[in-house]
Amino acid sequence: MRQVVVRPERCVGCMQCMAACAAAHSQSGALAAAIREYPLPGPRVHVGSGRYGEGFPNRCRHCDPAPCMTACLPGAIYRDGNWDTVLIDPSRCINCASCAMACPFGVIRYHRDPWVSPGRAVAVKCDNCLHRRAKGLIPACAEVCKSGALTFQEPDRAMKRRTDEISRRTSGYVDQERSGEEAPGFMLLRQLKKRSGQLAESGRGPR
Amino acid sequence: MRHLILGSGIAGLQAARAIRSAQPEAAITMLGREPDPLYARPMISHLLEGSVQPSQLELGLPPEVRLISQDEAVAVDAADKTVATQQGRKLAYDRLLIATGADPRGIGAQNTDLENIHFMRTKVQVRDMLEALPGSRRALVLGGGLVGFKAAYGFLRQGLEVTMLIRSEYPLSQQVDPITGGLVRAKLQENGLDVLVGRDVARFEEDGSGRVRGAELTDGTVLDCDVAVVGKGVLPVTGFLQGSGVDVDLGVLVDEEMRTSARDVFAAGDVAEHFDLARDERWVNAIWPEAADQGRIAGLNMTGVPARYPGSLSRNTIRIFDLDLTTCGLVNPPADSGYEILREEDPGRGTYRRLVFLGDRLVGAACVNRIEHAGVLRSLIGSRTPVPCPREDLLRESVHPGGLFPFSR
Ligand SMILES: Cc1cc2nc3c(=O)[nH]c(=O)nc-3n(C[C@H](O)[C@H](O)[C@H](O)COP(=O)(O)OP(=O)(O)OC[C@H]3O[C@@H](n4cnc5c(N)ncnc54)[C@H](O)[C@@H]3O)c2cc1C
Repeated sequence: MRQVVVRPERCVGCMQCMAACAAAHSQSGALAAAIREYPLPGPRVHVGSGRYGEGFPNRCRHCDPAPCMTACLPGAIYRDGNWDTVLIDPSRCINCASCAMACPFGVIRYHRDPWVSPGRAVAVKCDNCLHRRAKGLIPACAEVCKSGALTFQEPDRAMKRRTDEISRRTSGYVDQERSGEEAPGFMLLRQLKKRSGQLAESGRGPR
Repeated sequence: MRHLILGSGIAGLQAARAIRSAQPEAAITMLGREPDPLYARPMISHLLEGSVQPSQLELGLPPEVRLISQDEAVAVDAADKTVATQQGRKLAYDRLLIATGADPRGIGAQNTDLENIHFMRTKVQVRDMLEALPGSRRALVLGGGLVGFKAAYGFLRQGLEVTMLIRSEYPLSQQVDPITGGLVRAKLQENGLDVLVGRDVARFEEDGSGRVRGAELTDGTVLDCDVAVVGKGVLPVTGFLQGSGVDVDLGVLVDEEMRTSARDVFAAGDVAEHFDLARDERWVNAIWPEAADQGRIAGLNMTGVPARYPGSLSRNTIRIFDLDLTTCGLVNPPADSGYEILREEDPGRGTYRRLVFLGDRLVGAACVNRIEHAGVLRSLIGSRTPVPCPREDLLRESVHPGGLFPFSR
């Protein structure tokens, strides 16, 4: 199934994805009107700065298994198998923030939201724009991204595996899902070392 | 294949779900002590607050699970592969899961059997507390841990005057450092809760008709109260395993696959003693997400699907009025033991962060307010790998996973 694929190295930090996401999850659906809404629509994708000040678009990876799902006390977080999407039922959410501690990506926010819960603060995160998908549109963040950091495509297996390994490290894992004998964390960090080495060479290394 | 699950909490439920998904035909029996259908235990404090309906707590069983409730296991015979129950049943199994959870720890005070002195672990107990509310004005909460905390909050929301009595010097002393504890205490007092530290109850006093009327403390002070809750931690329920051949320390000892020392017997949840990823030793972390994950891993292994559990971490997320607090791992290490601490406080914004390192690893974190990225820290602690960036970066409010792991998706 096609998914939003994130390539942080291509992000230029323009934050257009945040604006598009907020507009897509506003009552009016259009940016110009959305900024006058109350509560103000919030984005579900966040562009932060990485270790060297580079842009990093961060968004729910819809992990499987999803650590936020097992941590959720009222059972408000569930997986929509048809769309391979982890969703939060705002009517069951009690805003306890247990999922904040569970999410290895730090992508869940807690606020009143014009789209799902205008009257009461709840946990809010990326819903893969299922309302747009139903109309044949692609997720708003990927539609607006011009730098290729967010693209809507078939994820390759390696990408999917790396993401799921992060969540498995939290929730335990089935043996044949493992890629070799090394713990997933080690593998990731080895890659990181490689990347910081590259950055150092290009003059952007640790200061 | 006959699967028998002892205990109808989240560990047992997740195991049943995993078994059912791997083996559609297997026979699954679940034995539970409580009269209520399965429910989300941590939510009972919201029942006390009055912010949810009892039905909102209910959890559904997967199809074709036979639930025997209001009966309990009294003996396990691992050689014969049978379990004897209180009501005289003898249940045979091919694979057994011990998921009996934990019971509240008792206290040494006198007269604890008076009416309106409660533990808060089950729906039934909260129902009893709610029944005691109409005639009550003053509540006394013993213990400054998570449950004591939630009880106090619930009573406050119900309009009672609440006194919290803590043996240590500040609330949540098992989870947080003195600075965080002080912030929490100030927040509670600001909202009308009385917090007494360094003391305990010596004796409860009776009102003449069997109900609690007050408590005499270890320093001689006498406090009035119409209702009291004891929240002094929990202990794994393992008594019925004596002589069974299942090895028990504080909890039931399990390996990476949640197997106990007895053949075809597994354990998961608050009853199980696994490995703590921050402390580097065997530990019981009696919390919901670990119970759920352990149950799932145990269930998979019971069906022959090899699955591993990496180890557990203590963690807490608490929202008290407008203060958010998360803790994870070893926040309060013993002094002079080679741990290094990094902290940052911004009183203007009400934020505080404390990080604990051992060698090149992050082993503990506490965040007060701006907690959205706490999971990234948790993930780093759980990875047990060297911190891959300057340590100070982790003090930033938004610890960006981009700074820690180069995800390409
Ligand atoms: C008020 C409260 C608030 C909490 N808040 C949080 C929170 O915010 N976050 C968090 O992570 N955790 C929280 N917890 C802890 C969490 O509820 C537990 O970690 C979790 O429920 C453990 O699940 P379990 O299945 O291992 O055990 P349990 O939920 O204890 O279930 C075990 C079941 O087995 C039954 N049983 C016991 N002995 C026998 C026997 N011999 N035979 C048959 N059945 C038996 C018990 O009656 C019980 O129903 C809270 C707990 C309480 C009480």
